[in-house]
Amino acid sequence: MAKPTRSRWFTKLALATIAILSIALQACGSSSQSSSGPVNLTFWSWVPNIQKSVDLFNSTHSNIHVTLNSVTAGNNGTYAKMLTALKAGNAPDLGQIEYQFLPTFESVGGLVDLSQYGASSLQSDFVPWTWKQVTVGNAVYAIPQDSGPEAMFYRKDLFTKYNLPVPTTWAQFQQDAVALHTADPSAYITDFPPKDAGWFIGLIWQAGGRWFRINGQSWNINVNDTASMQVASYWQNMLSNNLVKTDPDFSTAWYNDLQTGTVATWLTAVWGANTIMSNAPSTSGDWAVAPMPQWTAGQQVYGNWGGSTTVVFKDSKYPQQAAEFAQWLNTNSQSVQDMVQGAQLYPALQSALSSSYINQPSAFYGNQNIYQVFQTISGNVDVNFQWGPTMNQVFQDMSDSFSNVTNGQGTLNSALNSLQSSTVTYMQQQGFSVNGG
Amino acid sequence: MMLGSKTTGSFRLKAGKIWIKSIPYVFIMPFGILFLLFFIAPIMYAFYSSLFVVKHSGLGLSAPVTVFNGLFNLNQAFHDPLFYQSLGRMLLFGVVQVPIMLGLALFFALLLDSVTIRLKNLFRMAFFVPYAIPGVIAALLWGYLYNPQLSPIVQFFHAIGWKSFDFLSQHAVLWSMANIVTWEWTGYNMIIIYSALQAIPHELYEAAKIDGSNGFNIARYIKIPLVAPAIVLSGLFSIIGTLQIFNEPSTLQYITNSITSSYTPNLYAYTAAFVTNQYNYAAALAVLLAIATFIFSFGLLRITTRQTGE
Repeated sequence: MAKPTRSRWFTKLALATIAILSIALQACGSSSQSSSGPVNLTFWSWVPNIQKSVDLFNSTHSNIHVTLNSVTAGNNGTYAKMLTALKAGNAPDLGQIEYQFLPTFESVGGLVDLSQYGASSLQSDFVPWTWKQVTVGNAVYAIPQDSGPEAMFYRKDLFTKYNLPVPTTWAQFQQDAVALHTADPSAYITDFPPKDAGWFIGLIWQAGGRWFRINGQSWNINVNDTASMQVASYWQNMLSNNLVKTDPDFSTAWYNDLQTGTVATWLTAVWGANTIMSNAPSTSGDWAVAPMPQWTAGQQVYGNWGGSTTVVFKDSKYPQQAAEFAQWLNTNSQSVQDMVQGAQLYPALQSALSSSYINQPSAFYGNQNIYQVFQTISGNVDVNFQWGPTMNQVFQDMSDSFSNVTNGQGTLNSALNSLQSSTVTYMQQQGFSVNGG
Repeated sequence: MMLGSKTTGSFRLKAGKIWIKSIPYVFIMPFGILFLLFFIAPIMYAFYSSLFVVKHSGLGLSAPVTVFNGLFNLNQAFHDPLFYQSLGRMLLFGVVQVPIMLGLALFFALLLDSVTIRLKNLFRMAFFVPYAIPGVIAALLWGYLYNPQLSPIVQFFHAIGWKSFDFLSQHAVLWSMANIVTWEWTGYNMIIIYSALQAIPHELYEAAKIDGSNGFNIARYIKIPLVAPAIVLSGLFSIIGTLQIFNEPSTLQYITNSITSSYTPNLYAYTAAFVTNQYNYAAALAVLLAIATFIFSFGLLRITTRQTGE
């Protein structure tokens, strides 16, 4: 009596569940099917207004249609999402990835080698160091989009007020730090953001530190090499003598310091120009840009912080068409101009750097042509800097241990020493072939 | 219904008995299925994931393989000093914050219950409102009040000469977080205790008054003992909540150097899974945290039931 009813009820429920699930699954699977008409590609990017370039591509290419998926910036969850999607085998066709995470994606086998679609011929179009970043041997894993050559943004008004020379060497930078802090105890030469590993690695890059090297079929790890330890000692000295602030960068307090002149410089990449302009509008006319101070007087060696690339993921059903889009997006002059004007990015395409829409004086920087400075720097960024395949772990460990240093536990040098051993251990655990030290 | 022969009758009775016995299970079935699907299954899956590791080879330019590695991850997590530091931090937090919060909740509940103040509903609402504010928003609001450059409170202390005053310093930040959690959850716990107070029959108060009890004694000898089970329940929830604190540190970590990525167990597991891409290790941490939470919450239940003699 009762039992048959129950089991029938169950059967119905089970059937209904199966029906709903199968509809849902069909809906998922059918999105990228197209037997005739243009090839449909999806592209994950966080670059503002990049839709304009995508639209231009779609209107000039009848056989390919690219759909842009606006995502949050890589480290705010998009990389995690991409890696998860790669794991599940349903990554999009194309994606935005910063240089420092290319080896991470390469090491999960996630990227298509674009050299088979003619990408190698583009080498001479791009700023040399950016091309070096996207290649491993003969393989081309990404097309460079923008870059972040580093310089010193400084408060011209404060330097004049306290009669400080604009530093050209790190030794001078430190003298200025002392002089400024003595003249005004509430003012600091700059902020040392302990949580921002990318910032510190930019300085290491300039000093000639080489954390990762590819040696045949294994990785050489040298987080605490001589150059890196020199940079660490320098900033440890600044910290110990209370010559720098230690606010986390891009926090409200930090923006406040930019506005109020509590910090006299920001050592940052070209994209910082826009950060200052939009977050400290009242300081218009007070800022100027000078090349980064040097370790050896008279040299011209620079580092880089940020910049990203366009990649084709392994799950793409149409890698050739995707490769075509990736190349077009970053080499078509109108597309690059749209990205420069829509997102204020600084392109990796050589020919664009001297174009009139970039290379011009800006009113905010007292009519200085700051991009002239950056063009020189861009050509002198050290080409041989190599990122490792576990940068997420390196950045996290670094940010935690540097934070502990600012809380009085250890020094930057001891932090680099422990970072060396934790990185080697971590990579060995993951099965990479590693030579430490 | 007509009964046929005796044998069929007893058979039918038996079948009926089985049916009656199974009725409770039918009623808990909807819960049971969801419980299995959304609670037991994810824990089992986390345990299963924790048994694997991702292995690269050489330079690692080809896809890595996921291989079975037994209890390696669990063993590593079990010996991970960062996990114990975060757990220890949360225990210290709980030992101080939970009693303060429950004390306040009890105090406010008694106040609302005893005094025939006007605007009682308004006060009840006012105490409860912080709970309705999402945790991340609460942390942002307090973050503003903690920020040395912007906070009027900090600026006040600096103005009267306490220059080193900093809510976000290494030693203060845990208690700054405790303050946010207390602010958010006191009202919620107050409502639980207040509801328990409402259920106490008023005859007890009348009898106590006739025996000469004043308001304080009524609270001390009648109300508090009778709402003790509600307090135990809130305590249990609070302990589980403390071990799972995530919103506050994950929001405040962007404005202070005092909070590292392994500050609380949940933040540590989150970082392992979504920042450093160690899914399998994160699964192991999650399993350990579930076990730790289980031990602490059931430990508290056993202690309290033993004390009340049930």
